[in-house]
Amino acid sequence: MDRAVQQTDYDAFSCKISAIAKKYLPCQKQLELREFSDYPELHMAYAQSLKNLSRRAYGKVQKAVQSSMPLMNYGTYVRTVAVDIAIEQYINGLPKGSKVQVLNLGCGSDLRMINFMSRYPQLRWIDLDFRESVHLKAKILNSDDRFRQRLGFPAGDLSEEDYVSGRYVLHSCNLNLIEDVLEIIQEHTDPDVPTLVLTECVLCYMKFKPSQVLIDEVMSLYQTGMWLSYDPIGGETSTDRFGSIMQSNLRESRQLDLPTLMVFNSATKYAQRFKSNATSTDIRTMWQYYQTETIPQEKQRLKSLQFLDEIEELEIILSHYVLLKAFW
Amino acid sequence: MEIDNDVAMQDAAEEPLDPTLDEDAGTEHQDGVQTREGPGSSGIADHKASKPLQLDDGNIGQLDRWIEHLGSCQVLSEEDVGRLCKMAVDVLQFESNVQPVNVPVTICGDVHGQFHDLMELFKIGGPCPDTNYLFMGDYVDRGYYSVETVSYLVAMKVRYPKRITILRGNHESRQITQVYGFYDECLRKYGSANVWKMFTDLFDYFPITALVDNKVFCLHGGLSPMIETVDQVRELNRIQEVPHEGPMCDLLWSDPDDRGGWGISPRGAGFTFGQDISEQFNHTNDLSLIARAHQLVMEGYAWSHQQSVVTIFSAPNYCYRCGNQAAIMEFDENHNRQFLQYDPSMRPGEPTVSRKTPDYFL
Repeated sequence: MDRAVQQTDYDAFSCKISAIAKKYLPCQKQLELREFSDYPELHMAYAQSLKNLSRRAYGKVQKAVQSSMPLMNYGTYVRTVAVDIAIEQYINGLPKGSKVQVLNLGCGSDLRMINFMSRYPQLRWIDLDFRESVHLKAKILNSDDRFRQRLGFPAGDLSEEDYVSGRYVLHSCNLNLIEDVLEIIQEHTDPDVPTLVLTECVLCYMKFKPSQVLIDEVMSLYQTGMWLSYDPIGGETSTDRFGSIMQSNLRESRQLDLPTLMVFNSATKYAQRFKSNATSTDIRTMWQYYQTETIPQEKQRLKSLQFLDEIEELEIILSHYVLLKAFW
Repeated sequence: MEIDNDVAMQDAAEEPLDPTLDEDAGTEHQDGVQTREGPGSSGIADHKASKPLQLDDGNIGQLDRWIEHLGSCQVLSEEDVGRLCKMAVDVLQFESNVQPVNVPVTICGDVHGQFHDLMELFKIGGPCPDTNYLFMGDYVDRGYYSVETVSYLVAMKVRYPKRITILRGNHESRQITQVYGFYDECLRKYGSANVWKMFTDLFDYFPITALVDNKVFCLHGGLSPMIETVDQVRELNRIQEVPHEGPMCDLLWSDPDDRGGWGISPRGAGFTFGQDISEQFNHTNDLSLIARAHQLVMEGYAWSHQQSVVTIFSAPNYCYRCGNQAAIMEFDENHNRQFLQYDPSMRPGEPTVSRKTPDYFL
């Protein structure tokens, strides 16, 4: 089961590489930022390193790039950009020069820390994930100076199992074991510093109880912060079969369970799991996000990249994914 | 009015893959691109007959064997696809842009390579040729069995030309099939693009609209600002790749909309048309209904424009993940219509382990 969850990292990474290859990512605004200018290059370098370390992961990347379905590229664009913008808004909303830390729980092969750390010198970034994912990522980051320079050279002996520099920590951790999580984050973060916690398709794979414990314990550890969470929701009307089909498709072919997909089956219910600790929450579906937050110029740019032939399917799928912001 | 996005359609076709990631993948693909030639290069229409194909014991036997083989979801050999497509050209080239169809007939929408669901459709609607069928396009792309699906329908068409009508959808096109799966599926199942070339050359001959008992105008997409009468459709030269704009493009791409008049389509091809347009068209041409497909509708069918237009979609649980019902519409001698809805077949014979997972964001 853990392995099935860990494998989803390659899906997310493959989708991202595909979206970069087709020039969906980075978004126009990031393209104009110096700190994001090597975004495509860094991702392609990571993908090439993957080739030597995991044929399986690389095979997936290759397949995604070859098929490169417009709908998946659109969804990956919306997801990635929505998360990026939320991170940026949070950091920009803090007093100028204020310390800030990002806790990326279930980080997988996500590389957004590289560009964000360049853009915000006051930012500390902590990446946590399963041991297998972390080892693979550490190996790749350690082996290439392009990454090491940007992340800060690792302190002490060169490790192949994690990555710890002055500003960046990549550490293995099972998010289901709250004692482990707390021990690691207490060691590497400061509870008084404003903290952004990111869970991108992470909570959906956890059972109800451990996911709630994780939310409650981590939120109460930090004085102030924002939880940013991207996940699928099952759909709440009796005729909406998207969630149950997703569950059975993934169980059947991937042995992958989504234990709370039908529990937190609407945006409102999803936000409720953060309510007890949050002062305010904001949640919208990715379809709402695409409709209202994506500026016309960007929509026009996306249209010119690939031919998306139908809107109905995109609406159905993006309506079953949410981005939540919970502030405390 | 300008369509803002036909450039994208072109781009999508010319650059099916991005070779920047991996040199191996790039080369593989480039080979595919290099061997690809223009329309007609498959040769299936090089020696067209001057009159419609005559069925005799010999070709009936062959067609029946192909249909049986395809019915168990197995592809024909490349040579047999070539023979089938040649025969189909000699049936379809004699059909009209506005193919007349008699009642009773069962009208169906998008199938999209969901072969097992097509078999379910024939169970729900009754076997062909006992039941007459009219399919409104989009046989290929998206589903995993585009080759089997289109081979089966074309074989049925050649075998029972008066019993089944197959119109062209926007996916019966060289450009779109390179993005949405049929091209890749042909490469995967045959090792070359030859079968893709034969079928896409054949698609040029598919009729683009049908007229049921002079009352129901059937087509894949919708109306065109350049077409006011059914006779104007008859004048089009349809034997070509689906163009990026113009009346033939619109008939295969347009959608009805709640807003009146003509609008720019979010799809980037065709137009949206309002109730005023549909009512005027039906009035001008003495029609009772426009039946079309093209759009995913959750119940399998949906009325619009106060029953001037009906959308029929016949791919249940579209792309194996949308959760929609499918439907077909029976239209009888007295012009009564009845919708039959259905869910995905249980896929007997399709091993669950080897089934590809539909894409999700994970």
